[in-house]
Amino acid sequence: MNIPVLLKVLGALALFLAAVLLTPLPLSLFDGDGAQGSFLGAAALAAVVGGGLLAGTRRARPELGYREGFAVVTLGWALFGVLGALPYLFSGHIATPVDAVFESLSGFTTTGATILTDIEALPRSLLLWRALTHWLGGMGIIVLGLAILPMLGVGGMQLFRAEVPGPTADRLSPRIQDTAKLLWGVYVGLTATEAALLLVGGMDWFDAVCHAFATLATGGFSTRNASVGAFASPYLDAVVTVFMFLAGVNFVLHFALLTGRPRKALANEELKVYAGLTVAAVAVLMVLNAGSLYRGFFENLRYSAFQAVSILTTTGFGTADYELWPAACQVLLVLLMFVGGSAGSTGGGIKVSRILLVVKHAVVQAWSLIHPRAVRRVKLDGRPVPDAVLQGVLGMLALYLIVTGAGAVGMAALGVDPVTAVASVVACVGNIGPGLGGVGPADNYAQLPQAGKALLTFCMVLGRLEIFTVVALFFPSTWRK
Amino acid sequence: MRVIVVGAGEVGFHIAERLSVEGHDVVLLEHDRQRLREVEERLNVLAIEGSGAQAERLEEAGVRSTQVFIAVTDTDEVNLVACLLAREYGVPIKIARVKSIGYTTRGAVLSAEKLGIELFINPLEAVAQDLINIAGHAAAVEVAEFAEGRILFVGYPITEANPVCGLSLADLKDLRTMYPFVVAAITRGGRTLIPRGDDLIQAGDHVFLVLVATDLPSVRYLFGLDQREVRRVFVLGGGPVGFRVASHFERAGLQVRVVDADRAVCEKLAEDLGRAVVLHADFTDVDALLAEGLGRADVLVAATADEETNILAALLAKRHGARRALSLVDRPAYVSLVPTLGIDACVSPRLSTASAILKYVRRGGVLSVATVEENQAEVLEVLIDEHLPWAGSPLKAVSFPKGAVVGAVLRRDQPLIPTGETVLQPGDRAVVFTLPDAVVQVENFFGTA
Repeated sequence: MNIPVLLKVLGALALFLAAVLLTPLPLSLFDGDGAQGSFLGAAALAAVVGGGLLAGTRRARPELGYREGFAVVTLGWALFGVLGALPYLFSGHIATPVDAVFESLSGFTTTGATILTDIEALPRSLLLWRALTHWLGGMGIIVLGLAILPMLGVGGMQLFRAEVPGPTADRLSPRIQDTAKLLWGVYVGLTATEAALLLVGGMDWFDAVCHAFATLATGGFSTRNASVGAFASPYLDAVVTVFMFLAGVNFVLHFALLTGRPRKALANEELKVYAGLTVAAVAVLMVLNAGSLYRGFFENLRYSAFQAVSILTTTGFGTADYELWPAACQVLLVLLMFVGGSAGSTGGGIKVSRILLVVKHAVVQAWSLIHPRAVRRVKLDGRPVPDAVLQGVLGMLALYLIVTGAGAVGMAALGVDPVTAVASVVACVGNIGPGLGGVGPADNYAQLPQAGKALLTFCMVLGRLEIFTVVALFFPSTWRK
Repeated sequence: MRVIVVGAGEVGFHIAERLSVEGHDVVLLEHDRQRLREVEERLNVLAIEGSGAQAERLEEAGVRSTQVFIAVTDTDEVNLVACLLAREYGVPIKIARVKSIGYTTRGAVLSAEKLGIELFINPLEAVAQDLINIAGHAAAVEVAEFAEGRILFVGYPITEANPVCGLSLADLKDLRTMYPFVVAAITRGGRTLIPRGDDLIQAGDHVFLVLVATDLPSVRYLFGLDQREVRRVFVLGGGPVGFRVASHFERAGLQVRVVDADRAVCEKLAEDLGRAVVLHADFTDVDALLAEGLGRADVLVAATADEETNILAALLAKRHGARRALSLVDRPAYVSLVPTLGIDACVSPRLSTASAILKYVRRGGVLSVATVEENQAEVLEVLIDEHLPWAGSPLKAVSFPKGAVVGAVLRRDQPLIPTGETVLQPGDRAVVFTLPDAVVQVENFFGTA
């Protein structure tokens, strides 16, 4: 491990965050909410950390290998989490460091779980910061999912290496930068479009921007205690539903669609399954909800579709308390929490393509039992899937389930009731936000014990970084010179 | 017409033989002295020792006054260089046999057009196409399409159980008013004859019919042939030919099983094919193949690289219930053996290549050509010119060449089956069946030589 270069990259990231920490400052000054000191202090501290790290590592050999890659990704996210927690702490709106880091990392991992009991009590500048952590996190995830993790070969992600046309370079890093710029362009464009549509629907610019940030990142932080439901507008529900769905689509496909290659985008197998799954989930929820809660087809569609898409894409916005729905609906939603969005989207969870590959693999295995001589390959988009990818996917699935199970046991051991223990871990590893029981859509994470929040914070990072990336750091050989 | 053939292998020998029989000046270049002597003994052609890639040899062969240049050695590069040399000498038609797919796939870096060569023939593609045609038509031993598929030329085996077995052509004549078709030829004991009214159809014959494509089901019914369509296809051997056949039938929506004994080949097939089931098994492992439904197969195509294996596998498949079995056989000695064994049809890469080349060379007035039973006969599609001396007379009144028969006519895009009263009109396209020694006369008759 080349630790100097690792620290150098972290230093650069801290400096970058220092600049971002200043963005809510004008709003804070305009509102005169008294939070400007917190942002200035946080930015200053981040700048000192960043500057110090850079100054101390000027002689670092600029060699970034696989092991450094894992460390930069994990520690970078952790660093953002810690520095991003400072405004909450300094302003006094969140009392303990554990709570502040939970809220901050819930933002950067685009989970959207909150420990705030009264969101509307926060000044607008802090709410903007919450939304910004989502949006930055989403940017990071796109590059992570389509360029960095494929390069590192995590969990079969090599299959989803972004194939974005651009200047061909032999070295990988300029390639990542080009790819990132193009995909970020799509991300920014979609965010702006949603914000404009929300403005049209009657939101003020502040709510529109914050919700657009949280939607495209599939985060779920709202500016209201009642989430999107507070606006009570079918139009706004529809806009948010559509954009949550879009945020759960591989951004390479958005890019292909926007650059005039719709056939390539629409033929994508994962997209078809993702869309089919969404339609099926909405249909089942509507059937189960029909007759009891909602009067009329469109009301049923409005609420069923919003919650289904919000959970499947791991956004976590709410317009209805699904804990009042029939039990079958709640179990179905928990299952959707495991699925998550598409690979290369900002969504969390296991990812549709991984589920698809595992199912295909299982079908081939079963089919081979009755055709013992047959040779059959698992294919995705008509192309054979390499064994290494399948193994990565199966390994990821196993680790995901083990982590979720172990986390649930840990939460229960800390005195949390069983439903809440399981649901909170599922919702955090999958980067969703709301779960069931004590952490349902009408509740929040405030009442959980401090140790439980720390455990869930770790779960959010694990889930966001596809587990393998974090686990790799626990091998001593990763750190050897 | 002067024709230079480079390479006296199976393909080159065959082409040279056919063209010389038809009266063309054929020069054959071959570097192997033994083979050259054989050519000199058996064929009426000028044989020159040397490589087709040497300019001096080509000049010696009279390349400057040559119309058609055919390079069919075993080496792609020699064929290409020979054709490029011929291009420099201004030969109008140059044909190269090319085995590497790298030259014939779409978007090839060096394609036929870029090299200025008129035709690339890939023996494997040619043979795969023949296998596909025969396998796709249930019970047929031979299939060719004319007039964009509206006129068919089909060969069927006749068994004792066949309702037409033992009938004479005159007997069939009454039926023909209901089912229009022409019996163009009968092959019996390895010989092809053009039947007359009193000839009997016997068990063991192959009859060759020319008919309008839309009448195929009723004619098949008349001949008592199985109405069942081909649905289940077994392909043995996942090499280039087997792969082409399998992927064709897969695309056609049939149930395809491909068998290969080599694990690596199977893996590759599993990657490249879609719904087709790839089986890793030895061809003699009958139990495994029966478990996968070999006994219910409509057709088995044995297309491994080993011809003995193909013959044995086809026999095994027939023995265990496969309705038809075709095999890929290359050695001339085996080609004539196969029909006597009960294998439904055999296809040879060399003969397929040769007929594809002959088809191209004979263009001009001839629109299309198909060959029958190891090139014992040919089917030509010709355009009727207005300056013919016999224009305006019904068919029975003109002295049509012996050993040839008009099978069908395409008039103003409508296919019709001619009788003695039919008058050929300018602009008609006639499908003519002919024995090899009548080809020249037929071409003279239609003015297409």
